[in-house]
Amino acid sequence: MLLDFNRIWAPYIYLYAVGGIAFLIGMYLIIKTRSLNLKKDHHKKWLVVLIAGFIYYASIHGFFILVAQQ
Amino acid sequence: MLLFMDFLYSWHNNRNMEISVGTGIDRVVILIYFLLVMGFGAYFGKYSKTTSDYFFGGRRFSWWLITISIVATGIGSHSFVKYSTKAYQYGFSSTMTYLNDWFFMPLFMFGWLPIIYYTKVRSIPEYFEKRFNKTARYLATSMTLLYMIGYIAIQLLTLATALYRIYNIPLMLTVIIIAVATTIYMHYGGQTSVIFTDLFQGLILIFAGGLLFVLGLNFIGGGEFIIGMKSFWNFLTPDQKLPLAHFNHPPNFNFVGIFWQDGVAGSIGFLFLNQGLIMRFMAAKSVNEGRKAAAFNVLLILPISAIVVSNAGWIGRAIANGMPGILPPNLQPNDVFVAVTNIVASPGVFGFIIAALCAALMSTADTLVNASSAIVVNDIYGPLSKGKQSEKKQLEIARYSSIIIKVIAIALVPFFNSFESIYEAHGWFHSTFTPPLVVAVFLGIFWKRFTTPAVIATFTIGAFLMILGQFNHELVAPFSHGIELRPGKGYSYIGALYNIFVCASVGIIVSLLTKPPKEEDIKGLTVFDVDNLKAKFKGSEINEAKGKKVIVKWNIDNQIENNCIRFSKHDMRKMNANPGDLVYLCDNRSWLGGLKSIHAVYGEPHEIDGVVMITDYQQQSGLFNNSNKLFAEKEM
Repeated sequence: MLLDFNRIWAPYIYLYAVGGIAFLIGMYLIIKTRSLNLKKDHHKKWLVVLIAGFIYYASIHGFFILVAQQ
Repeated sequence: MLLFMDFLYSWHNNRNMEISVGTGIDRVVILIYFLLVMGFGAYFGKYSKTTSDYFFGGRRFSWWLITISIVATGIGSHSFVKYSTKAYQYGFSSTMTYLNDWFFMPLFMFGWLPIIYYTKVRSIPEYFEKRFNKTARYLATSMTLLYMIGYIAIQLLTLATALYRIYNIPLMLTVIIIAVATTIYMHYGGQTSVIFTDLFQGLILIFAGGLLFVLGLNFIGGGEFIIGMKSFWNFLTPDQKLPLAHFNHPPNFNFVGIFWQDGVAGSIGFLFLNQGLIMRFMAAKSVNEGRKAAAFNVLLILPISAIVVSNAGWIGRAIANGMPGILPPNLQPNDVFVAVTNIVASPGVFGFIIAALCAALMSTADTLVNASSAIVVNDIYGPLSKGKQSEKKQLEIARYSSIIIKVIAIALVPFFNSFESIYEAHGWFHSTFTPPLVVAVFLGIFWKRFTTPAVIATFTIGAFLMILGQFNHELVAPFSHGIELRPGKGYSYIGALYNIFVCASVGIIVSLLTKPPKEEDIKGLTVFDVDNLKAKFKGSEINEAKGKKVIVKWNIDNQIENNCIRFSKHDMRKMNANPGDLVYLCDNRSWLGGLKSIHAVYGEPHEIDGVVMITDYQQQSGLFNNSNKLFAEKEM
């Protein structure tokens, strides 16, 4: 079966574009309100965890999309 | 009632056509498991002395305990059947809903979690009263209860669907037996029982799901695991290996619809509105422990859970593709979990895996029932009795309301059974009940301008527009992203986007047309004040100077007042603490996960190093015994 763009990449792009906007708004709000206070050491670690989490999921999905087509 | 009777009748007629599965050993294993969990839950009932213990487990648990207990809450019995079905039909894209929760984690971990923890709200509707008014609370109470009772009904239906084949007991009778079993341990134990039975069941779930995958791969490989892995991969088509579904096709399983229904409405609903989950986080010993539990859960446990709940379907698909003749050609996708388990597992092991399905149900249902009874006590009984009733009376109400909730859930089972599949019933449920609450709580937390008339309009006008959309599909069409309209059924999942849009529009428009709330009325209730919430929680300036933990023995001093405990001057210096700061005192055995612990306030210091003076009440609350040392750490 021939897999087209709508089957392979459109969901991925949509997920990380729309989801990414929600994520960025969230990050902006918590940093702006100092709920995530970057002056505190343990909050800096949380910043890394939050960003790494996003990349981690984008990588898992990306990886499986690539290997599925092998 | 007629629907209920009709359901019983049709079930009875169909029953004899079903194939029963499992052996006598399997039935015994399942029965033993039920008894074990009930005993386990009842044992931990001794840790519930107050309503705070009953609902929040005394706010004392470590992150790892919360994390593992959340596994069992997140994986319902519906998960095994629902995701195996989709895994069998569509392959790896069945995992989509487990892997799309990270987008809202910043707002949850640093917005909502500190708000609910530090404002000490006992329920989500209570937040609505604080942020808006009583009417908003009542509306939120009814919608939240509807949401949770419906959820419990789906759980009961799913497990009963699997169990009645094994025991040949009528479906509705199976539902009732399961409801009674979970009620027994819940009735006495509350949240502490729920957490500990969920810890046990979470481990069982992961183990059983993993075991099923290994057995399945072994089966495919003819007893050779490595060959099985290779064959499994080769038997699946590229389409079935993709982790995300087709963008907008077919109408009953497409990426964009499920993204809005589950990734947005479902994720926000689960993280922000699921009272059961919220109560679990509130049982953490601190906000930071709650954050750790949340992060660990989404980053590690959810991907594992996705495999646990889907793999029976993947194995079934691989067998159907590459080993024709093993599974019946007319196998219904809903039956794939039980069918595959029956094929790959030996007698006894099959019973164990089905027992894990029971674990999934019992742990999800107990959390939801405990949460629903918390809402009944806090948001219905509390305001009616004007807070004059004793703790004992409140606990009594909580216990009896949990029984009533289950009875209502049982009555709803036939309604959910009328859907094409459990996946669709669950999808409809999420996209219909969560949007008004999701919009209300989200705008309430993250938009100061959101007003009380606006939240009421969101609940009422928003709900009206949603109902309009259910019957007039042309209203939903502009949001459809090209998804085909199913005649007579409408748009299923993408309806969530329309519902969110209309509720948010109503909320925003009415807010802009009405007078903004006064700053002092919403202080500490939005993300903009989170930075000051700690001080509000403590009641004085916070002390964030770094200190060390100290190991102490305890002595009784009943002269101490105001929930204070006393340390030596030297120990206080080591902890960098001052009288009036908050302290956490815990049994030094870390594997207990904070079960034996208390929160208190530093009193005036004494002279004996290595000793903490506590009252009889504190000793009993923390269940401290003489043979074990305690550790103490300053909280703030």
